[in-house]
Formats: sequence, structure tokens, C-alpha cells
Amino acid sequence: MSHKPLCIAHLYPDLLNLYADRGNIAVLRRRLEWRGYEVEVAHVTHSEIPDFSRYHLVLLGGGSDREQAIVAEKLRACAPAFRSAVEDGLPVLAICGGYQLLGEYYQLPSGEKVPGIGLVDMVTEAIPDAPRLIGNIAVWSDEIGVIVGFENHGGRTRHGHRPLGRVLHGHGNDGVSGHEGLRHLNIWGTYVHGPLLPKNPALADAVLRDALAYAHLPDHLEALDDRLEHEARAAFVSLRMNEVAPMLKEEAGSP
Amino acid sequence: MLGIWIGKLILWVLRLRGRDATSLPGKVALRISPGLIRRFGGQVKRVIAVTGTNGKTTTTSLLSGMVVEREPVVTNHKGANLAQGIATAFLRSCSWTGRLSADTAVLEIDEATLPAVASDLPIGVIVVTNVFRDQLDRYGELDGTLAKLLEGIRKTQATLVLNGDDPLCRYLGLRSSRKVMYYGMARDTARSPRREQMRDGQFCLMCGRPLRYDGFWYGQLGLYRCEECDFVRPHPGFQGELQGGFLRFSEEGLPDLLLDLPVSGLYNAYNVLAAASAARALGLTGEAIHGGLRAYRPPEGRMQRFELAAPVTLHLIKNPTGCDSVLDAVVTDGRSKVAVIGINDLAADGRDVSWLWDADFELLAEDQKLSYIVTTGYRAHDIALRMKYAGFPESRIRIEPELAAALQLGIDEGTAAGAVVHALVTYTLLHPAARWLSERRDEREPQAALYRTSVS
Ligand SMILES: [Zn+2]
Repeated sequence: MSHKPLCIAHLYPDLLNLYADRGNIAVLRRRLEWRGYEVEVAHVTHSEIPDFSRYHLVLLGGGSDREQAIVAEKLRACAPAFRSAVEDGLPVLAICGGYQLLGEYYQLPSGEKVPGIGLVDMVTEAIPDAPRLIGNIAVWSDEIGVIVGFENHGGRTRHGHRPLGRVLHGHGNDGVSGHEGLRHLNIWGTYVHGPLLPKNPALADAVLRDALAYAHLPDHLEALDDRLEHEARAAFVSLRMNEVAPMLKEEAGSP
Repeated sequence: MLGIWIGKLILWVLRLRGRDATSLPGKVALRISPGLIRRFGGQVKRVIAVTGTNGKTTTTSLLSGMVVEREPVVTNHKGANLAQGIATAFLRSCSWTGRLSADTAVLEIDEATLPAVASDLPIGVIVVTNVFRDQLDRYGELDGTLAKLLEGIRKTQATLVLNGDDPLCRYLGLRSSRKVMYYGMARDTARSPRREQMRDGQFCLMCGRPLRYDGFWYGQLGLYRCEECDFVRPHPGFQGELQGGFLRFSEEGLPDLLLDLPVSGLYNAYNVLAAASAARALGLTGEAIHGGLRAYRPPEGRMQRFELAAPVTLHLIKNPTGCDSVLDAVVTDGRSKVAVIGINDLAADGRDVSWLWDADFELLAEDQKLSYIVTTGYRAHDIALRMKYAGFPESRIRIEPELAAALQLGIDEGTAAGAVVHALVTYTLLHPAARWLSERRDEREPQAALYRTSVS
């Protein structure tokens, strides 16, 4: 197959690299390469200005509060270009801190509000002395099936969009609503890391299909040998969240 | 008093059964007498605390070995660095009436435990080896670790002995308003970065601007300076330089010492440098420093070797930076090899295994001498998946969650291929692996077992 390469932008890997987003990039890249696509990964560091007209998929990861504030400032400077690309269908995969940044603001425990980029109708607040929401997590998504991973966030997030899914085990957006993540346009926002994609190949492929369509590349993805991925999901769930195990069998596309 | 007595009793019973207790006696004793650590703290004249992310166990043993050349010392063993481990250390050294014969304690103290015990102990010196990302789920984030360390330091009047090559240690030095002595490697031995490895603290903690590096040793340890403010690597008062198998240790105004390196690798050279610097800060002689290094025996998991049908080297891996230096050591071994990688996700391992994706397992996948990988532990599948996406052929990965079976598979595979075995395991798999491997070794040479101290 000879096409133009699909361009994945990893925004500020030097600032937002708290939860092994290198793993998410590796999964996106390999799953395209195994199917004969060409892939270009643009690592956009803090000293560069992102060029949203070049990218077919944007990955925003998590960082510490201090680093997140720097990123928010950088992204606000180019928010209009980012917003118009997203409205045209640019897929965004935003995880943890990157997810929080998409909203109106992130309120620190001190009460200080770090403004986000306002791409979605969403706020996040870290309540003083409230425990961090930490642990293994499983989510049911009607689009994807079961999404598994680990969450670790102090902030409680509320938004006016569809959630990514319903919490089966763990905390999710705010620990009370039973909702996890956000879906809006081609934005995939979530607190699930671990990293997110290696044990959620169906989600990786869904994000890739969005990106291929946006890039006007053939978006029919051949099935891969995901035996190891499925075994890893099953082993993890039966070890740490056994009550979710029956759901794995019902999910779409599972053997 | 009752707490001491019961703690001693548990220690005695466990010893009778041939068990080496590092935490349980202290845990029970603290439950009965919560003021136990303060009580012991009132009896010793000085405490030297060793903390930081990597290398605290090795640095503590090296340093206590140096101090012991001069006087008896209380110290904790095998990384039992929480309050119960510290209490156990005192219980081991005290009489049944709770009297200590030592005036000095050299204690490894966990970063999060330091603030809790700092005001109970007469801490005169605090050594911070480095601050790397470790077990994120325990502290929230890296900034939390720094806050804990500062909180602990501020509860003491201690002199700080800090790794000046680490910008995060430098930050502690600047913010602590305590007397600080820095150690570091010789400037011209820094190298330019080789791969896209993960580094913490690449941003100036004083002003938030990027840090510029003129060279690196490993992780974020290097020749850093801020582009904006005057945050810069300090000139180290204690300087180390690797020369062959030795570390040249220099301090202005004193003759250089050529120190033995009882364990190999740059990573361990830093531990020797930290211990020697702290020893100097305490006023120990060169003779005591040499003596402590000679007496040192590497503990489990620091490249421990077992001569079996295929020779096995056991390594502890626990966070990306520590893991990268182990991976470096494995690929530097030029022999044909098989790897057994064991990953658990219990509290002591870190419940979040995402660090596996930050560590540079691509190095291993690219190693032409590596023919086969067995994965084991509760998260055997996660590390198998990691190796698949690192580019290692799936057909040469075998998943065996049961540790003993996995080690046996690795040894069988190594024997058949004429290869050595490198076993890389997380914390809670380390003791079981060491025990299993030494039992196999003792079966092979039963007569030798009589002359060897038992492991664990
Ligand atoms: Zn600065």
C-alpha cells in the first residue's frame, strides 16, 4: 500500500509524560504499520508551535500540576487553530491531565483556577483534602465495549457532553456520577491510563479509524492477531476486578 | 516498655525459626508503644538518615559499614525503611530492658516516612541520593515527593549531603535553608544523551523555564542550568571520577582516595560516592571509608549471580530509571542470553504498572543476543504485551505466571541454547526468586551449602 503517511502529533511529550504515553504512541504506530500504513509521529516539544493543519490525530497526555499549567498557557496561545481543526473533525485523544486541559478550567486545591483551552463545556475541581481517585478501573462503552486500565487523579470533572462510558469498577470523572471520560466531535477524553491503549485494542482501532477518515485514507482496518491483547485484558480483569469478567465476554468483537 | 519486650520476643522467636525479621517486630511493638521511636531517638547521640528514590539501601549499608569501623551502629537492613523497619532496627540493637549500646544510627528512611519520624530522632545528617519517579500511586506525583522531603528536612537541623548532579536534589538544597554539601561526578565524564529516555524534572523548579543540559550521566542526573534564572548545577564539594574498576574520590584540601567499587555500574558508583561523601561530612578517615567498602556484601537483587545449569543473574527492577540501568547492564553482557521478567503489582511493587512503558524495553527487544523471554508474576501478560509492542517477536515470548516454573523454563531454555539467564523482577518477587535460585544452587553443590550463609 502506498499512501501519504498518517501524522500523529504527540503534544508536549517533554511536559506531559507522566503516564507512559510513549506506550499509547507505540500502539497507534504499530497497529498502523502492521496494516501497511505509513506513520509519522510529530513530537511537539515546549519550544515548538503546533501546526494543526498537518496533524491527523492529536495525543495529549498527563503531567504534574506545575507542568500542566505551562501546557495550558502554551495551548491557549494557539487555541483558535486547535478549535477550528477539531470542529472540522481532527481526532483528539486526551488522557488524564490532557483531558482536564480541554475544559474551561482546572481548579487547584488552593482554589486557584488554571484556565484550560475551553474546547469543551467542562470544568475540573480538586477539592482540598478529598482523596485522590486511584486504582484499577473498568468502563463500559457502547461503542468500544469494556475499557480497562488504571486511574490516578485528584481533580473531579463535570461536563455537558456524552461520557466515554459507564464506570463498572473504579471512580471515573468525579467518583459519584458513574460516568467516565468524554465523547464530543472526534474527541476522546478519559482518565484511564495504564497506558490506555495496549490493553484496549478496540479503542485504539476506533481512534485510528477516526484519524484515517479525517486524513482521507482508507479506513477499513483489517483484523490483527490480538490474542495476546485479549489474554492480557482477561488476566488483568480476573485478577483485579473479577466482577467485570462476565462483561468481557459480551463485548463487541471479542472472540 | 511492654512494646520493647514484645518486639524483642517476636524477634527472638522468628530468629529461632531461622527467619530474618526486618519489619514485623517493630510493627507490633509500635502498635503497643507508639512512642517507641522517640524513646530510642532520645538514647542515641546522632542519626544519619539516608533517603531518596534509588540507591538508599546500598548507600545505607556502605555508610554504616564505614561508621562501624569506628564505633557500633544501629542500622536497618534490606530496605525496611518505613517506621516499623526503623523500630525493628532499634529492637535488634537494644537489650531486653530497652538499652542501646550504640550512640549512632545510620537509617534508611522512606521519603514519605521522613516527616513522620524526623522530630523523634536527633538527625544530624540527611543524605538524599536522588529523586526519581517511583510508585506514583503512593504519593500522587513527583512534586508530592519533594514536598514530603522538604517537610521532613525542615523538622530537623541536619546538614544535608545531596546529589548535586540531580536538579531535584539541588532544589531541596536551595529551599531547605540548611547547611548543604553537594557531591557529584567529575564534569568531563558526562556524556551526551543516547536515546529518548524519560527524564524527570527537566524544568526549572524555581522559575518553570526549561533546563538546558550540557551532558548527562543517567536519568536527569547531569550538567543542568536554567535558561532564565540562576538555577545551575553546583560545583560539587565531593567529586567522583570512574577510573577502571575504581572511583577516584576528591575533596579540596585532602588527598584523593581511590575507592573500590564493590558493585559495578555507574548507578552504584553514585552510591559509593554518596556514602563516602557522608562519611567525610561525619569526619571519618580514609581508612574507615576503605574498610567499609571492603566489608560490603551486595544484597539480593543487585546483580546477584547463581551458578546453575545455565548461569543466572538476578536483578531488581522497580521504576523506569532504575530499570533502564538494569536493561543497560543486560544488553552490555555480550553473551547469548535468555530473559525472565517478573512483574507484580502489589503495594510494594507499585499498583500501577504503567512505568513498564516508560522504561526502555526497546533496548532489550533490539538485543541480537537475546533469544527468548519468559514473563511471570501477576502482571506477566502486561510485560509480554510491552515486549510485543517493543518489537520482540511474539513467538519467542512465553507467559508463565508462576515464578518457579518461569525460572525453570528460563534455565531450561538457557541450558539448551548455551545461553545465560538474566532474571529481572519487581520487589515482591525478589525474595522468592532469590530463595528458589539458591535452593537450586544448593541442590547442585550440597557440600558448599554448609559454608554459605543462607539467603533471605
Ligand atoms: Zn529557572
